[in-house]
Amino acid sequence: MSLFDSIWNWCVDLLSNEIWFYLITTVVKLVLMFAVILAFVVLSVWIERRVAGWIQDRPGPNRAGIPLQLFQQFGSKEKQPLKEWLHFFGIPESCWIAKLCTWLRLDREIPTFGLMQPCLDGGKLFLKQELTPSYVRKVYFTIAPMLVLGPPMVAAAVIPFASGVTTKFGAINMVVANIGIGPLWIFAISGLSVYGLTLAGWSSNSKYPFLGGLRATAQLISYEVAMGLSIIPLLMVFSTLNMQDIVQYQADNGWTLLPLWGEGLSWQRWALMAPLALSFIIFVTCVFAEANRTPFDMAECETDLVGGYHSEYSSMKFASFFMGEYAAMVIGSALVVTLFLGGWSIGFGADAALHSVSSWLAVVCQFIMFLIKLTAFIVFFVWVRWTLPRFRWDQVMKLGWLVFLELAVANIFLTAAVLYFVK
Amino acid sequence: MDFAISSILFYAFAAMALICACCVIFASNPVTSAMSMALCFAATAAILFGLGAQFLGIVQITVYAGAILVLFLFVVMMLDIRTEEDDNSFSVFSSLVRMAPGALISGVFAALVFLAAIKLPGADEWNNPLCRAWDSRGELCVGRQEPAASTATGNYGGALPALSPAAAAKTLNPNISNEEAAAATSIPDVKLLGQCLFSQYNVVFVILSFALLASTVGAVALSRKIRKD
Repeated sequence: MSLFDSIWNWCVDLLSNEIWFYLITTVVKLVLMFAVILAFVVLSVWIERRVAGWIQDRPGPNRAGIPLQLFQQFGSKEKQPLKEWLHFFGIPESCWIAKLCTWLRLDREIPTFGLMQPCLDGGKLFLKQELTPSYVRKVYFTIAPMLVLGPPMVAAAVIPFASGVTTKFGAINMVVANIGIGPLWIFAISGLSVYGLTLAGWSSNSKYPFLGGLRATAQLISYEVAMGLSIIPLLMVFSTLNMQDIVQYQADNGWTLLPLWGEGLSWQRWALMAPLALSFIIFVTCVFAEANRTPFDMAECETDLVGGYHSEYSSMKFASFFMGEYAAMVIGSALVVTLFLGGWSIGFGADAALHSVSSWLAVVCQFIMFLIKLTAFIVFFVWVRWTLPRFRWDQVMKLGWLVFLELAVANIFLTAAVLYFVK
Repeated sequence: MDFAISSILFYAFAAMALICACCVIFASNPVTSAMSMALCFAATAAILFGLGAQFLGIVQITVYAGAILVLFLFVVMMLDIRTEEDDNSFSVFSSLVRMAPGALISGVFAALVFLAAIKLPGADEWNNPLCRAWDSRGELCVGRQEPAASTATGNYGGALPALSPAAAAKTLNPNISNEEAAAATSIPDVKLLGQCLFSQYNVVFVILSFALLASTVGAVALSRKIRKD
């Protein structure tokens, strides 16, 4: 028996053990989910700057790429890689392929459309001088950025990114933690990031960060109430809290906001559209408020608070706050996509059809679909930020407590009435 | 003596909760107290997760750690902390008098909790704290009305909900067969809790809701400034 055979047999033995199979698949899913979230944090910074540029009629960061001069160092000095490549295939330098490549800047760099920009930004922030003021409360000043960045990463555990597959060792469900309290887990854990903002404001020991921290606390708690109440109509329709079941229901019977197949075609389902659309509007606005982004970024409002809770921070600690904000935005988008826009489901019965071909193919397609939906919603998120002006402080509180709370409670009764009389 | 990993985690989180609870009392900085309390709630929630009561655990985090304690922190931060730290000017006798009622009340309460805890089924099986509630009956105890274990283990045995998924499935739907119930893999704790709250304890639940509503309205009425004009 060769070496490879024995390694293979060892792997099969390991995977045949139920506990090891569970551990290994969970760790793989965990790493995948973590990588997706971190990649999207970086990507959403780029999306933010490109969309901002697009809205303000300027190009945005489109230049940072991998310069081909780096590769030329290893080759001959006079030959450009593009010309070498054209000669290799025997293509003349004046034909349209060569012109297209030149237009795409392929003769100078590997085109990344500015995607390298966030990496360079990150590198710059890493190399900046770390400056901790002498008057801060050191312990809380240090743990505050961790408390902002950590919770959104943990909250991602319950978001399903594809349906399940059955292997010969056992079934794999494409969600890290398939627990029966999905949305509540996300609310609870991402709600903990308020500690980071509050402690950052308090421990900075100066006036403006403190005011920013207090604002963050008040705002996040206010909107958490309306956010929790706004999904109750949804849970009444799904009658489950398990995220994987919620998405499976939408895959079979139409997305919450697009019921065009399965049971979704019945008029009863369309009668539920009004309360569900209302809860979508309330929920999305609350997600904006929870992510602390511009129409609602009271806690870091430059015009009246310098920089808000992160005024005293520098270097990577400062960057952690921003990464936390973007991670919260990614998780919020993923939650909206999962609850209202069908999560991983491709729609129109394509999920079941793909599963009948091959469940691995279905899982890969669903994962790509999930990423497409997530990206689309992040673009929407950014679009709103650069379109709407910042609210005033009392307007934010009034909107949360006097409009959304009442609407969300009324919406619960409306949904109950529709469900009672229609079904 | 063999320890299950769940038991080790139980003792780790229980120790964490106790240490954090002590920190709440002994920390001189009120913000440290509040943060230790948050950790204590988190550890308690972890124990509830270990018991399979995911909903209770997450509600513990959402309500206590996520909302109430943040408001505590909100208030504590606005206090002047230095006066609190230097507040040791009382004599031994007067501080004893100040502490005595609190110690008495909490001592009686702790004794009650302790008595209840040692009478729980399986309380003597300390090396396996998480699995006892259903394991100690020696069989799959379906439902929870019959006082199967109460004679053997004390007053509280019959009233405890069975923690096995099979028993939970049977409680939710009494019509399914034992084989179908045994195939259940997770405890539908949200459904069980809802069924319990809105049938058995419905009246109490509604009364409590009205009490909370009344206190909310009262708080708003008290804090509202009435303009003279």
